[in-house]
Amino acid sequence: MTEPRWRRPHTRKFRSRLIAALVVGALGAVVAAGALAQGVGKSSLIGKLEGPEVVTDSAKFPKTLKEAPQLAALVKAGKLPPVAERVGQDPLVIKPLHEIGKYGGTWRGGFTGPADFWNGYRCCSGPDHLLFWDYTGDKVTPNIAKGYEMQDGGRTLVLQLRRGMKWSDGKPFTADDFVFWFEDIYRNKDLVPTPAAAMAINGKQGEVQKVDTYTVKFKFPEPYYLLPDVLAGSTQIGGHAQQGLNGMGGYAPAHYLKQFHPKYLGQAELDKKVKEEKFDSWVRMFLFKNDWAKNSDLPVVTPWKTVTPSNTPTWTLERNPYSVFVDPEGNQLPYIDRVVLTLAENLEVINLRAIAGEYDFQQRHLDLGKLPVFIENQAKGAYKVHLDPGDYGGDMIIKFNLSYEADPEIAKWMNTADFRRALAIGIDRDQINETFWLGTGTPSSVVPADSNKYNPGPQYRKMWATLDVKKANEMLDKIGLAKKDAEGYRQRTDGKGRLRIEIMTLGGQFLQFTQIAEMIREQWKKIGIDLVVQEVERSLAIQRTIANEQQLAAWNNDGSEHLFTFPTHVFPFDLIAVVATSGPLYAKWFQSAGTQGKEPPPRLKELMEKFKKAYGVPEKERIALGKEVWKIAAEEVFIIGVIGIGPASMGVRVVKTNMGNIPSRQYNSPDGKTPTISRPVTFFYKK
Amino acid sequence: MLTFIGRRVVLAIFTVWAISVLAFAIIQLPPGDYVTSYIAQMATMGSVVTDEEAQNLRIQYGLGRPIYVQYYKWVKLIAQGDFGMSMEWRRPVTEVIGERLWLTVVVSVAALILTWALALPIGVYSAVRQYSVGDYLATFVGFIGLAVPNFLLALVLLYLGFVLFNAHIGGLFSPEFNDAPWSWARVWDLLKHLPIPALILGLAGMAQQIRIMRANLLDELRKPYVVTARSKGLPEPRVITKYPVRVALNPFASTIGYTLPYIVSGSIIVSLVLGLPTVGPLLLKALIAQDMFLAGTIVLLLGVMTVIGTLVSDVLLVWIDPRIRLEET
Repeated sequence: MTEPRWRRPHTRKFRSRLIAALVVGALGAVVAAGALAQGVGKSSLIGKLEGPEVVTDSAKFPKTLKEAPQLAALVKAGKLPPVAERVGQDPLVIKPLHEIGKYGGTWRGGFTGPADFWNGYRCCSGPDHLLFWDYTGDKVTPNIAKGYEMQDGGRTLVLQLRRGMKWSDGKPFTADDFVFWFEDIYRNKDLVPTPAAAMAINGKQGEVQKVDTYTVKFKFPEPYYLLPDVLAGSTQIGGHAQQGLNGMGGYAPAHYLKQFHPKYLGQAELDKKVKEEKFDSWVRMFLFKNDWAKNSDLPVVTPWKTVTPSNTPTWTLERNPYSVFVDPEGNQLPYIDRVVLTLAENLEVINLRAIAGEYDFQQRHLDLGKLPVFIENQAKGAYKVHLDPGDYGGDMIIKFNLSYEADPEIAKWMNTADFRRALAIGIDRDQINETFWLGTGTPSSVVPADSNKYNPGPQYRKMWATLDVKKANEMLDKIGLAKKDAEGYRQRTDGKGRLRIEIMTLGGQFLQFTQIAEMIREQWKKIGIDLVVQEVERSLAIQRTIANEQQLAAWNNDGSEHLFTFPTHVFPFDLIAVVATSGPLYAKWFQSAGTQGKEPPPRLKELMEKFKKAYGVPEKERIALGKEVWKIAAEEVFIIGVIGIGPASMGVRVVKTNMGNIPSRQYNSPDGKTPTISRPVTFFYKK
Repeated sequence: MLTFIGRRVVLAIFTVWAISVLAFAIIQLPPGDYVTSYIAQMATMGSVVTDEEAQNLRIQYGLGRPIYVQYYKWVKLIAQGDFGMSMEWRRPVTEVIGERLWLTVVVSVAALILTWALALPIGVYSAVRQYSVGDYLATFVGFIGLAVPNFLLALVLLYLGFVLFNAHIGGLFSPEFNDAPWSWARVWDLLKHLPIPALILGLAGMAQQIRIMRANLLDELRKPYVVTARSKGLPEPRVITKYPVRVALNPFASTIGYTLPYIVSGSIIVSLVLGLPTVGPLLLKALIAQDMFLAGTIVLLLGVMTVIGTLVSDVLLVWIDPRIRLEET
């Protein structure tokens, strides 16, 4: 009975294929074929981008505060201080999208296990970033910090905290929590062995200092104008909830965590505790204690806090009585009492439960391929389907490995711009869009949506992204690949037969990369390119990337709409962070400031230099540089964009019709922790 | 008899040790480690693990150390009755498995009881009334049970349950009972959810057992001692149950060796499809995540179950069938 291990790849593939085929086949094709065609078109599913706003004008702040009935009862019983004391003098005021809500209710959703902690960050963390994005995802607004100011030519960011704000256990939230994080967690070599890139500019580390109880500053040796964006994004200093378990986050509850830290407890005492609680080391214990999703005792500043942790069958969160979030009428937020995420053993169960109307608001893990079934069951399940296309240019992209070395001939062609361009215009994006996106995506190059501040201009959307078989053939002929074999495939120039290139895909993702790659394989036959599609196991994909062995790889570039906080899919930025990079050796070169890896070709180097420079210049200049980066990316086609501005990656949303303040379209992005960018604290039940 | 059992027990202990080495080695075989899987998983969910974070995690989990050191550490823990901490769940392995283990046992035992309760009588009937309408019907249903993969059946029932009865999708509890403390209402809720998984898990096994029972009993029924018993005027039920059925039961006893681990691992695919909170999906997830301690413990547990099961079935066979004892000594 020890055989499941070696049978796994087979079984998994078998399982996912079969389940996908059967459920989609049986439910989708037979029952609801053509539901899309019957009038429920793209337009009614994709609404207007909208969302709540953070009120920063203190004149508009509410004068008195109100609270949920059960908290009022606790106050009356003397078990809780009055709401005004709990929230403090400077509440975080959020103007709901439509109306002031009502207290009460339980938000039901699904999650897939302890590794799905992002599910909770996205729904319930508030967020607890110091700064965050407005609903358009483009502008940084104050959040947990009341205000911020860049000083000293971009070298110092001063953050004002909220007076009287408390942790969820009622202890004050002050500058000391920042100093504790910086001195005792971040700078402790055991807890954080390697420093965070987000805390450095041009490789030089910054510092966090206390100015007074309610003022802190992030200080850097060189200008770091991007810092507000970094604090707002899902980075290593992007809040306590998401980053606590890694010893990052920017702040931490000092009063609670000191009892697990050797500096305050003494090593001997601590070792005893570690043994009692059965951890392997104090580091593991400390990081566990600072894990928002797993330790229900952890003091937090998020609007909901974990009650039953994510490593149990139900991840439950309840309102934080000390939540600093309020609406303009002074009602302490959130409106919804509890969030219950139930464990589903596989994604099909989540999808089926969503179809059955067992979730109130579910976005994560819903499969675009099942859209017709979601629509079919709208009335029965008492929910509405929304699509939230991402602002990024590629729900699917194809990365060239620009630093490939294993086969010099292939390496040469992948480094030839016209070769890459020819392949890009050899793809029939409309066919792919209709088949796999049900027409809801946009054929596109890699550049982000036109409304994005870094978008270089509308002409770049279709640059090298429109089918032109004739031109592609001419280009390939011209660069020296004119010789074809009997079956019409182009020949290698070194006489070793047919030019065959491999694409690496992963199964079991939000999108059926393998099947789409198979379609592209058919399309590329017309330009004489022989594509070999290889679906690999994901750990293997990472290993091959690190070993610089992959040629092409299929993935998406979600996150790239925030070019500077999420550059992974734009150019070879990091080595192992994702399933494939567009040049592992160049990534190494970039990360090591030129001491390791291989020097990239001129255009790529130019892109990298512009990118790097942008961190240290004021926003206006940065936007200009960002546009330059996208221009080069689109012109050079380092990465082929296939279909973009689409809802394939967490863009299918099923929401009960009795929920209020629900935006008809929201900004879909990992940086926006969607739906948190729509402020779920303002969601409520109408009845 | 005692020496026989003693020898088997010593062999079993050795086998378990070999299994532990194998289990650990097998888990190490695929490329990468827990951190690689973690990175991949994060990428799948639209977030990124930086090089620094990955490096930190490897140091924390001691994944950089040589494999034999890691094995030694693991075995040492087990010897102390501690199965380590699950990397993914960040809880002790015993806790993670524990709560699922007995639910698994409930589901599997229900499936087993259903299988045997139906398979034995039907098998006997089919054999005694060979080529009757009932026999054909049982054979027909049996072959369908054998031929249709049970996860397909699970999907069909799941879909029909939703469309026709608006039934709750998957799982062993209704949402309101998921976390509730134990009460009669919760037990009742569990019982209400039990038939479908038990039926699906049991059907394939049932079909097989019917065929085995039928074939074995047919062999026995043609033997001279049965003819003699009949000719002496023994009543028919007694003729059949006294010896032929008992002899035909041998294969049932010998399959216990495989039945015990089956109780734990359940049918992984069916559990996944039905969303049952059993050990099967846990094992699959642990293997995918390369969560060494968790996967290792489950694989080891399955191995131990197989060994114990084999031991039990050996002893049981000796007890049921006196002829075997002679061959053994």
